[in-house]
Order: sequence, then structure tokens, then C-alpha cells
Amino acid sequence: MRNLPFDTVLIANRGEIAVRIIKTLRELELRSAVVYHDLDAGAPAVSMADMAIPIIGRMPVAAHLDTAQIIAAAREASAGAIHPGYGFLSENADFARAVVESGFAFVGPTPEIIHLMGDKIQARNFVQRNGFPVVPSAIEEDDPASFIQRARSIEGPLLVKASAGGGGKGMRIVRDLDTLEDAIAQARSEAQRYFGDGRLYIERYIEKPRHIEVQLLGDCFGNVVHLFERECSVQRRFQKVIEEAPASTLSPGLRERICETAVSIARAANYRNAGTVEFIVHGGEFYFLEMNTRLQVEHPVTEMITGIDIVAEQLYVAGGYELRFSQPDIVSTGHSIEARVYAEAPERGFAPTTGKVLVLDYPSGPGLRIDSGISQGQQITTAFDSLLAKVIVHSSTRNEAALTAQRAMQELVLLGCETNASFLACVLADEQFLRGQVHTGYLDENPQLTACDSASDLSTFLAAAALLTRPVRDSADAVPELHASLGGWRNA
Amino acid sequence: MNHVFELEGVDYQLWLSRWQQGYRLHFGDEVLASLDLSHQGDGCGLLTVAGASEPVRFAVDGDTIHLHIRGRTRVLRYRDPLSAHALVKKDAGLLVARAPMPGVVVQTSVSAGDQISAGTALMVIESMKLESVIRSPQDGVVDRIHFNEGESFEHGAVLVTITEEGH
Amino acid sequence: MQRLASLIDVNSREFRLNELHNRRLAAELKERQRAVRLERPERDRERLRRQNKLFVRDRVEALLDPETPFLELSTLAANAAYDGEVPSAAQVVGIGIVAGREVIVHADDSSVKGGAWYPLSVKKIVRSLDIAIENRLPVVHLCDCGGGFLPLQAEFFADRHHAGRIFRNQSILSKMGVPQVALVVGQCIAGGAYVPALSEYNVIVQGSGAIFLGGPSVVQVATGQHVSVDELGGADMQTSVSGTADHLADSEMHAIAIARDIVARFKHPEKASIDRVAPEPPAYDASELYGIIPRDPRVHFDMREILARLVDGSRFHEYQPRYGRSLVCGFARLHGYQIGVLANNGVLFDDSALKGAHFIQLCDMNRTPLLFLQNITGFMVGREYERRGITKNGAKLLMAVSGAAVPKFTVICNHSHGAGTFAMAGRAFDPRFLFTWPQAQISAMGADQATRVLTDVKAKQLAVDDRPLSAQDYEATRQSILEEYRKRSSAYYATSEIWDDGILDPVDTRTALAIAVSASLNAPIETPHYGIFRM
Repeated sequence: MRNLPFDTVLIANRGEIAVRIIKTLRELELRSAVVYHDLDAGAPAVSMADMAIPIIGRMPVAAHLDTAQIIAAAREASAGAIHPGYGFLSENADFARAVVESGFAFVGPTPEIIHLMGDKIQARNFVQRNGFPVVPSAIEEDDPASFIQRARSIEGPLLVKASAGGGGKGMRIVRDLDTLEDAIAQARSEAQRYFGDGRLYIERYIEKPRHIEVQLLGDCFGNVVHLFERECSVQRRFQKVIEEAPASTLSPGLRERICETAVSIARAANYRNAGTVEFIVHGGEFYFLEMNTRLQVEHPVTEMITGIDIVAEQLYVAGGYELRFSQPDIVSTGHSIEARVYAEAPERGFAPTTGKVLVLDYPSGPGLRIDSGISQGQQITTAFDSLLAKVIVHSSTRNEAALTAQRAMQELVLLGCETNASFLACVLADEQFLRGQVHTGYLDENPQLTACDSASDLSTFLAAAALLTRPVRDSADAVPELHASLGGWRNA
Repeated sequence: MNHVFELEGVDYQLWLSRWQQGYRLHFGDEVLASLDLSHQGDGCGLLTVAGASEPVRFAVDGDTIHLHIRGRTRVLRYRDPLSAHALVKKDAGLLVARAPMPGVVVQTSVSAGDQISAGTALMVIESMKLESVIRSPQDGVVDRIHFNEGESFEHGAVLVTITEEGH
Repeated sequence: MQRLASLIDVNSREFRLNELHNRRLAAELKERQRAVRLERPERDRERLRRQNKLFVRDRVEALLDPETPFLELSTLAANAAYDGEVPSAAQVVGIGIVAGREVIVHADDSSVKGGAWYPLSVKKIVRSLDIAIENRLPVVHLCDCGGGFLPLQAEFFADRHHAGRIFRNQSILSKMGVPQVALVVGQCIAGGAYVPALSEYNVIVQGSGAIFLGGPSVVQVATGQHVSVDELGGADMQTSVSGTADHLADSEMHAIAIARDIVARFKHPEKASIDRVAPEPPAYDASELYGIIPRDPRVHFDMREILARLVDGSRFHEYQPRYGRSLVCGFARLHGYQIGVLANNGVLFDDSALKGAHFIQLCDMNRTPLLFLQNITGFMVGREYERRGITKNGAKLLMAVSGAAVPKFTVICNHSHGAGTFAMAGRAFDPRFLFTWPQAQISAMGADQATRVLTDVKAKQLAVDDRPLSAQDYEATRQSILEEYRKRSSAYYATSEIWDDGILDPVDTRTALAIAVSASLNAPIETPHYGIFRM
């Protein structure tokens, strides 16, 4: 183990990713500190961290977006570094700069790179300039007056996106150009609220593409390696649901070209720390989508196939170390699948669900990893993201991994707040998924998956519910024995 | 009069009766016997149907029963016959705007006492990462706003109460 | 207890012919019951729908606990009256389970004549409340009554057991602490208005329910006042202004849910404790009864063959098997309850009467309910028997039957004539329940004998008037008298007049009796004491 220039790391995040980071900090014998909003007081990250510092905000999300409070918390914790996790301030260049200027190490790339890549338009232009493929688009700030005009001239359905965005926030598909202006207004409002930046751009919406992304690691010495690709095509509402590595149906040649392209982009940007280049792949073509300058939600699948702890590498890079391996050292073994457990009701249009976690029991076994951010007794609200936990499996083949993941989804017991676990189990057992024939529109085209097991075992569930309901049992017990034994007898 | 359980918006009528040492479930034309559920603590139980037993995980929260059986989680609600058969009564002259789904109040556009007309935006809520506008169902005066900006609410919660003009 | 060994040959021609006959009778009974329960003119059904009311049978089913038995009583009441136009006397009455409690259900059937009370409707309601009083059974009334049927008021209004008795019985029940719940699911007019008012609890349905002593038309005639149904006695007024009704329900189903909730809070009865063990089905199949009951009522059959298909394990501990053999007495179990059985195996002689009286006292002393199985043409007559004191000994049996404090149950299996009807716990002797089999005949004298007597009387009268009957006319007169006599001594006539609590398909007897025995135990059993036995 190498010595790092800091002994305490403040995690400016919550939920499963905070827990995930704490685990690596423990491995590296570093102290962990975490900021939390009152709503998360009972969350596992808060109890697991060596220190937990409350932050406040008019809206819970706002607390986590408050740079000043977080830096104050880092000082209070005597932290030497701040890990932003994903979401919140992880891709905010101003935050990264404030962190660095306040004397802390920022576990992520430089503010300049975040700025470059965090602004989708700049990133796109940068990539295009360096000769890599991008999707036809209209960028608002090129000339705001003609923005809508230019958008209308792009052929095909359109996708409105926030320049500063990610994670599906502020996105709208427009198939009917009459609704374009409404979509722009809604997207701008969301973008303004989530990212504090209402700028938009519009690109051609490519139907049925695959979403392929490449995990990268770079250091301050100009080394950049890729940790192979991930496929994240199983999505709903631009939200990834099931991710896997490696991508199931990429030809070796295309796979290599994509990974090489990602590394080249990162090199051109003088990238350091962990990052991900996302592509959309259609047929044999691929286009640059965006670069995420942070740890991804789905990073565990890469960790499973490469055996590399990406968070540990982030910390070493942030601590000034050179990467411990070069490209040929990185080997992919087997197949990994991650399924995201959300607090949502797939059968009701994926509406968010809330409730108190009354029973929580995760499956365990070989090749199974659970990244969970919740614990029994915790209240699930809509104040934050609805991601509750990630179930990650690693097997020698894709089919085995899918089967293991499906079983894990069935064994996972989370009562008190409805989740998408049964839906995930259905998807993992779906023929089309098992054949690898997925694209980003796959879930939308297969709405039956949200109700694939709605009728089965109904009477067994009703029986258990009846036996657990006091008035139902009482009315059975109240009937005299003789009459119960005679049943619904009627004379003649 | 049968018992009613609601599952995913559908009502199911059933009856439980005693049968030998345990119980019998009558559900449509289906009869399950002999039934029993033994509690093993910590939300674990053993459900026995016709001599075959299987583990059940459960949590009972008021009239809501959360169940995990055979790898599937379902939430059933016991519909108390008194409330199930009562019609929803509307208090005369008082209207409410309810939450179409759980979420958080982003912004409130009106204040108590404001004159409003049908369609007036009352508040902006955020749910499922999307903003939606809660509009007044009819003309009237804002009586009360039940949630502050930043507060979260459940599905069906009353967000704004409106009185009819001159009421 | 020893198992009865049946001597019946189920493969015999006799058995098959009897079976054919009795199955036909059972099918006829089922069909007649089905018709009175469900067959209504479409316009009456349509009217109910228009009034947003449920059909009475659906109300009763919704009220009862699912998967529990309902013993309907006097289904065929009024079948031979009012040209058959008032099925079930426009009332549904039975013993059922509501929220786990044994209750009497009494429901007006407004699909028949708007729920008007006919004389036999009143008789049926009074009987249902008598049952409630005798057995201390709570009552649930489903009220939907347009008042009494005025043209026949002389037959149901003023007498001791006429309409007033309904309200008197309700009051007595209340005094005894036996609760009643009334659901006002239609209009309760005139006397009908007192049914909810005299019930401890009541529920009224918004819209269709109303209670008033005089309807709008009566009010207008009496006072000149114009008033609407709602103003006069609507659900809103009766629950919020007058306090005549307790609960306001949004719908009939809501009212039923409220009523079930009320009944669920009734005290669990402390039932009379009698000897009971785990039940056991009879060793012989009940359906064999069809082959045993002779198709010709005049043919004798052994009541033990009936018992073998009625009691637990077909086991019977016979009392004095060698004495007074025309009356079979002994102990058996019915669904585990110990019962004492008195069953006719021929006419009553003085020894059988003495044996019966003695056995009744035995059962009374050890708290064993009594089951009387009637197939009795009467007491033996003749000089020899009078000298032995047949009348005096028969009186002992009547004294014992009347005095026994344990619940009594009577099934008229075949003949029921003369003083035998009384001595075997006939209707006048207040058995808790009395049921009839389809072929039973109930009359003061057997049809053949009575017809001969009546025809002879008629012939003598005519002879006095100097108009002697020819042999041919004599036969024609005899036939017409016989026909009328048979009709009025049939089970269907008896049940029409509510001399019984209903006709049973013989195979249902065991279950019906078990429900009846269980119901009877809601009332405490008094200590035995008797009048003077003439020795």
C-alpha cells in the first residue's frame, strides 16, 4: 500500500455511492467523513463513516449542491481530499476549483477538464475538432436567435438536452416539430434547476441505438488506459436500468475501435482520474455522445471483469501517483451484469414509490456484489434519486450472469417500499435480452415486461395476506366450529 | 360479505374459513386448503398449503401487507368493508387539488386568498425527475396551501384547498 | 355405542322403486323451492333495479358470512294460499352466520307485492321471532315493507298472534337482552316502521330507505299536508333530526357492512353445555334414505334404518329394546351432540307411551336434547287398551313431552295423525324446530279412515233427507272427499300454513338438525320439573 498525502476523505455524496467509497477508504486505511441532510440521518453511509457532518438546505438536494457547506464540512473533518461521487457537484467545475483552491485534493479530473467536458457543447466541439464522430446537432449558444430554426433543419426526430446535464435530467424527445418550443421550455426549466444552467442543445435522435461507454483512467503523467467498455442500452426515460460488461454483441474490431477512440479523446483532453466516454452505436457506426468526468453508477461491472478497484485508483491518482498498470496489464475476465433497484412502480409508468423499509434482506453468494445505500427502518422519500441499491453479478458467461442476476433479484427482499426488482427479474429472463438484442428503446417497446408476472401465484399471495390480516382471521375464527365444517350449505 | 384486498389497483374478493387444524381460502372458484402461516420472527414465516411449506417474508403496516413469496414482492391492501362500500363524499363548496404522484414542491405560484380561475397554475411539483404544474380544477379562492416549497408529499395528498367564490 | 346394522338390500327391486319415487319427490321439492326463491316477473325485477335496490336473496347472501350454512325456514309458506301469488309469504327467514354469530335473518321481499304483509307473512315473521325468543338468537331484519295488505286485514291485524305480536316479540327479545339490528333498505311504512324502531340498532340507506308511520298519501288524507318521502321519513331526517335511525349508509352494501360490524360486537353467547364429542359421519350414506322410505305411505318401515343414515357413525344406544317396541328410544350423537331419539315403529301402545315418558325424563335429567321422528297413526284403541289405561298412559307421555326443559326437535317422516301427533312433540308442544318430509301426511285422522267416516256421515244425512246415494254417487263423493282431505293433510299444505318450519329433502335432515341443535343451545336449559303424572 502506498502512502497518500491525505488521511481523511470527505464524501460529498449520499446513498449507495457514499457506502461504496467508504468501503475502499477502509481498505486503504483512510478515514471517511460524509455530509448528510437530516432526511438521511438513518442511512447506512452516515453510520458507517468515521464522521458524519449535517448539511442543510431549503430542498434536500440543495444542501448537497452547496459548495460552501461542503468545504466547511471538509475543514471540520480535517479532510485532505473530497470525493464527489456521481451526480450533485461531481461534474461542477466551479466546485472542483473551489475544492482545490481551498487546499483539498479533488478526487476527479482538473476543473478545466470538467469545464470542457461538463459543457456538452464544448465537449462536442472539442471531439469534432479532433476528428472523432458526433451526431448532427444545433447548439443554442452558437446563435440563440436561430437556435430553433437550426434545430428544425436537422432531419429526423430530435433530442433536446441540457448543455450542463446528464442522467436524463432536462431531456426531451421531439417527434412533432410543433411541440418543439414546449419541450425547450420544459427542458430549460429542469436544466436551470438541476444544473443552475439553462443552456440547451438539440441533436438528431438516433432510433434504437446501443449505448456503449468506455471506462478510462488517466494520471498526471499523461498515461491513459481504458478498462474496456460497458453496455448500458437497457434504459427507460434515459435512465440506465441494467448495465453489463463486456458489451454483448460488439465485434472484436468495433470494440477495439471504440475503446481506442475513447482513449484518444481522453489523451487529447489531457484527461486524468476516472472518466467515461459514452457513445451511441448504430450498426457499425458509433458517435461520441458525451464524456462523464466522474465515477459512473455502473462502474462496478468494470471492476468485476478487470478486478480493479476504480475508487482506489481515483484516490491514488488524486494523491499524485502514476497509474500502477499499463494497457496490456488490464485483462477482462468473464461477464458482469448490474441491475439497479429503484424505488419505483414499473406497472404504474415507473412512478416513484415511497415508504419505510420494513424488511431488508440481500442475497449473497459467489459472484454476487451488492452496493446498497439503504438499511432497515429507513424512510424512502422522493427528495433524492430513487436508486436504492445495485445488484452486481460476475460469471464466466453472459447467460450465467443473467441467470444469477435474475435469481438475485428474486431473492432480494425489500418490503415497505415498492421496487422494480420483479421487473428486473423479468427483463433478465426475457428472450430478447438474453439474445443480446437490446437498444435504448428496448424497454419502451416491451411494456409487457412491466406486467410479466402479474397473474402468477395470485391465490398464494392472497392466502398469505389473508392469514396476516387480523380482521380476516378474526372473522374466520368467529364462526362456530360446526358451521365452519358445514361450509356454504343451503337446504335444497 | 367477502373480504376485499387490493393489489395493483385491482380488488380481489376472498374469504378465509377454518378448516381442520388450519384455514381454507375461498377465492373465486379456487379453494386452497389446508392453510397456515407460522411466524418465525423478524418478518419470516412459513406458509403451508396442502401440506407443502414454503418460506414467506412479510411486513404488515396498518392495512398494507408487504409480501415476498417465490421471488416476487407484492403489496396488498386490506380494504375495510366499511370504507370500501362507503361512497366518497364531497364536502360542499370545498375543492382540493391532489398530488397525482409523490413528489416535492418546487414552487408555489399562489397565496391563500388569491382569486383563481379554472386552470390557474397553483404550484410546480417535481416527481420522476419531471416538473409538472398543478392547476386549479375550477374558479374560486385559494383557501390553504398544504406544503411549503421543498416539502415532499405522498400520492393523493391534498396540495391546495380551494373554496368556491362567495362561499 | 353399537353400530346399527342395516338390513336394507340396496339392490332390491323394492329399494330401486322407492328410490325412483323419493328422488322424484326431492326433485319436485327443489324445483318448487327454486321457483319461489328466484322466479319473479321481469317487471318486478326491473322495478327493483330502478329503485336501486338489491333482490332480497342477494341481500341475504351479502349479509351472511361466506362459506357458512344458511338454514332457510318455511321457504314454501303460502304456497297453497293467495293463488300461489305470494311466494315464501314474501318473507325470507332462516338461521345463518353473520360476523361469526348465529342469528335469525328476517327479510321482507319487496319483489312480491311491493313487500306487503299478507296474513301468512305476519305468521312467518311472528314465528321467526318466536324462534329468536325460544333460542335467544339475535335477529337481523332487512326491512323493505309497504305495509299490511289491507283487503285481508281481518286475518292479520287484531288477534293475539297477528301483526301486533311482531312488535311485542321484538320488545320481549329486547327485554331478554337479545339484540336486533334492522337494515332499512326500502320503505318501512305503518307497522313496518316499528321494526327498525324496536331494534337495538338500525341502519338506513340514503335514497332508498325511509321510515314513516303514515306515507305521504295517508298524511294528505289525514291532515291535508303535502309532504315528500324524504321530508317525511328519509334517511337524512331520521338519522339527524328524529334519531329514529342510527347509521346512515351510502348504499345497501354499505348498510350491510355496517350491520355486520354491529353484529361483530355482540357478546359471544355462552351456550348451554351439553355432552359433545368430535363429529363422525354416519356409516351409511344418507342418499340410501330414498330407497328406504316406502313409496306407499301405508307400508311399514323400521325407523332404525333412518337412524343409521342420520346419526354419527350410525351408532345407537337403544333404551329398553325389548319393551314397548313400537316406540324406539335411545341415545345417539348428531354432529357430536348427544341426543335422545324417540322414533315411531308402529302405533303407540300403553307400554310404548310409558317407555317414552320415562325416556324423556332420563334425557331431561342428563341434559340431552330430544329428537322425535314421527311416523304415527295414533294411539291404539279398543276395550282391551282402555282397560290397560292407554289414555292415562298416553297422558303421561304428553305430560313428559310438555314438561321436558331440554330442546326438542321434531321431524315428521311419514304419518302424523291423532293424539300421536301431539304425543310425538307436534307443533303445539313447542319443539324448537319442526320439519317435514315431502311425503308426510298430517291430519287428525288418516285419510282413508277419515274419508270413510266423512262419506258415511254424508250418506246418512242424505238418507235422512230421503235422498239415498247410489253406489256410484257414493264412490264419487268418497273420491272427492278423499282428494280434498289428502290435499289439506299434505306436507305442502302444512308448510303453506306454517305448521312446520319447512319441508326437508330427507338427505338434508342431518345438517338441518345440527344447525337447529346448535341454535337451540343459545338459550339456557332450565332445571327439569313436571306437572302431575296420572299414575
